[in-house]
Amino acid sequence: MNHVFELEGVDYQLWLSRCQQGYRLHLGNEILVPLDFSHQGDGGGLLSIAGANESVRFAIDGDTIHLHIRGRTRVLRYRDPLLAHSLVKKDAGLLVARAPMPGVVVKTSVLPGDQISAGSGLMVIESMKLESVIRAPQDGVVDRIHFSEGESFEHGAILVTIKEEGH
Amino acid sequence: MRKLPFDTVLIANRGEIAVRIIKTLRELELRSAIVYHDLDAGAPAVSMADMAIAVSGRTPVAAYLDTAQIIAAAREASVGAIHPGYGFLAENAEFARAVVESGIAFVGPTPESIQLMGDKIRARNFVQQNGFPVMHSANEEDDPASFILRARSIGAPLLVKASAGGGGKGMRIVRDLDTLEDAIAEARSEAQRYFGDGRLYIERYIEKLRHIEVQVLGDSFGNVVHLFERECSVQRRFQKVIEEAPASTISPRFRQGICEAAVGIARAANYRNAGTVEFIVDGGEFYFLEMNTRLQVEHPVTEMITGIDIVAEQLYVAGGHELRFSQSDIVSKGHAIEARMYAEAPERGFAPTTGKVLVLEYPDGPGLRIDSGISQGQQITTAFDPLLAKVIVHSRTRNEAALKVERAMRELVLLGCETNASFLARVLADEQFLSGQVHTGYLDENPQLTAADSASDLSTFLAAAALLTRPVCDSADAVPELHASLGGWRNA
Repeated sequence: MNHVFELEGVDYQLWLSRCQQGYRLHLGNEILVPLDFSHQGDGGGLLSIAGANESVRFAIDGDTIHLHIRGRTRVLRYRDPLLAHSLVKKDAGLLVARAPMPGVVVKTSVLPGDQISAGSGLMVIESMKLESVIRAPQDGVVDRIHFSEGESFEHGAILVTIKEEGH
Repeated sequence: MRKLPFDTVLIANRGEIAVRIIKTLRELELRSAIVYHDLDAGAPAVSMADMAIAVSGRTPVAAYLDTAQIIAAAREASVGAIHPGYGFLAENAEFARAVVESGIAFVGPTPESIQLMGDKIRARNFVQQNGFPVMHSANEEDDPASFILRARSIGAPLLVKASAGGGGKGMRIVRDLDTLEDAIAEARSEAQRYFGDGRLYIERYIEKLRHIEVQVLGDSFGNVVHLFERECSVQRRFQKVIEEAPASTISPRFRQGICEAAVGIARAANYRNAGTVEFIVDGGEFYFLEMNTRLQVEHPVTEMITGIDIVAEQLYVAGGHELRFSQSDIVSKGHAIEARMYAEAPERGFAPTTGKVLVLEYPDGPGLRIDSGISQGQQITTAFDPLLAKVIVHSRTRNEAALKVERAMRELVLLGCETNASFLARVLADEQFLSGQVHTGYLDENPQLTAADSASDLSTFLAAAALLTRPVCDSADAVPELHASLGGWRNA
């Protein structure tokens, strides 16, 4: 069966199968073989891909896999097949403005019930020394403001919910 | 070692600079005390200090800005001196005054010097009156009614700056004069909000300028020396990313000129303790930009080339000693480069990142120095500055130093919070950087350095992730090898 890993906002579908020398990675039309991973101490190991060895440092935190290979660090998220499915169902007529980065609300510029047009400023947020404006993705009516001035939020948090007009 | 009139020093700071100051205090056999906010309870500086006193505030930053609590902590720990580090209260004249009035030595300049140099317009006028070069500018205070007209007459592009500015706040670049009034309004509101002071001035914006600064040291006996220059031209959004000493591609005559100007400015201001005179360099000319009346983030590159521990000298000066060397004793040797590791994602517009440090491993080697303020298990939040650690290398030549820092940035392992480490490695290996052709617009002009090369090594990372994820391996192991070898049909 297919498994999904998210990396830098892109979903990659892949699956593994066994082969004599270890595993085979099926990634789109690409098949990598053979591959294997041997653990070396805590959080480290050797990945062998088609005869080449790569030293890997890793940390696993829930569904998140942090990897350091060849001087690069990347964060991959394993998408549980069941969870990934439920995310597709979307509440029709509601739009959300998500936090592009963690930060603090400096100012809210709208109130629930306000009529807004695409591009209008909803909220001013600050992440350390960077101030940015959260803008409406399209026309609508402000449904809910999830954080008040001075409150902090994490990356991806829903900041403002907007009702599409006509709903 | 000369005797100091105090045996305990309070550090009114956090992070890597607090750790760095504690190291020198230990070297000088002095005791260290530190104030900390609850969020920093697990930070290395707090466990390293001999004494740690909690402070609180409406926000975490506010705790480190609370003069009353800090002075109360200093009394509680019976310290004889307070080192403010950089940022927070380091350039707050009121704080320095309150410390001195409490009978505690302030490890820094006099409150008068902080006040003079803290106001960018006053500092600029002072420097000009003393015969040193400054940039042509329009100052609002001179005549508010004609401010915009005078600014326009300088011609685009312009840079709007806050008189009380710092750290890139209250600054706007104006390329189209039609947007000048908007930029003034934005800069003013930002300056008002961050510094409580909306006064502005405007100068010509030079796209390809270099930022060169000179480290100075003065004592209470009128001696002032320089510790040579640092080049800090590699910047993003007015924030330094990579610094080095000495500056490359400048002539010995230029070096002498800029260093002597810095000493002249410090001497005119009766400057005491460590300070940095920053200059804009355009072609073969330099202009005074500002003076930072404190220890700077990038001071280690100067320490590496001169062999002088600047924090130790700060403590001796604060303890009333005369400088331990004269100008001719200070020799620059080799080349040093510092790279700042930030909790930020360069490929997403340098947006700050957060997370828990799950794995932290620093490389080690000759000539390599790591000034770090974090440890494994620590939570990185947006409550403070994103600086996590500085990687500093001292080598015989600039190219060798660049290569070593690049390697260190790639060997360094920090898992759990995204950093700019691989971005720094890309910059350090870039042809233009290696040729020394850097200016403050360099990173903006080379977006390929900022963009992540998403495609490379992708399958390697996905393979490692797949092999480390139990359900993925389990579903492979559940299928007998014979069936699996039939291929992708089960993929339905």
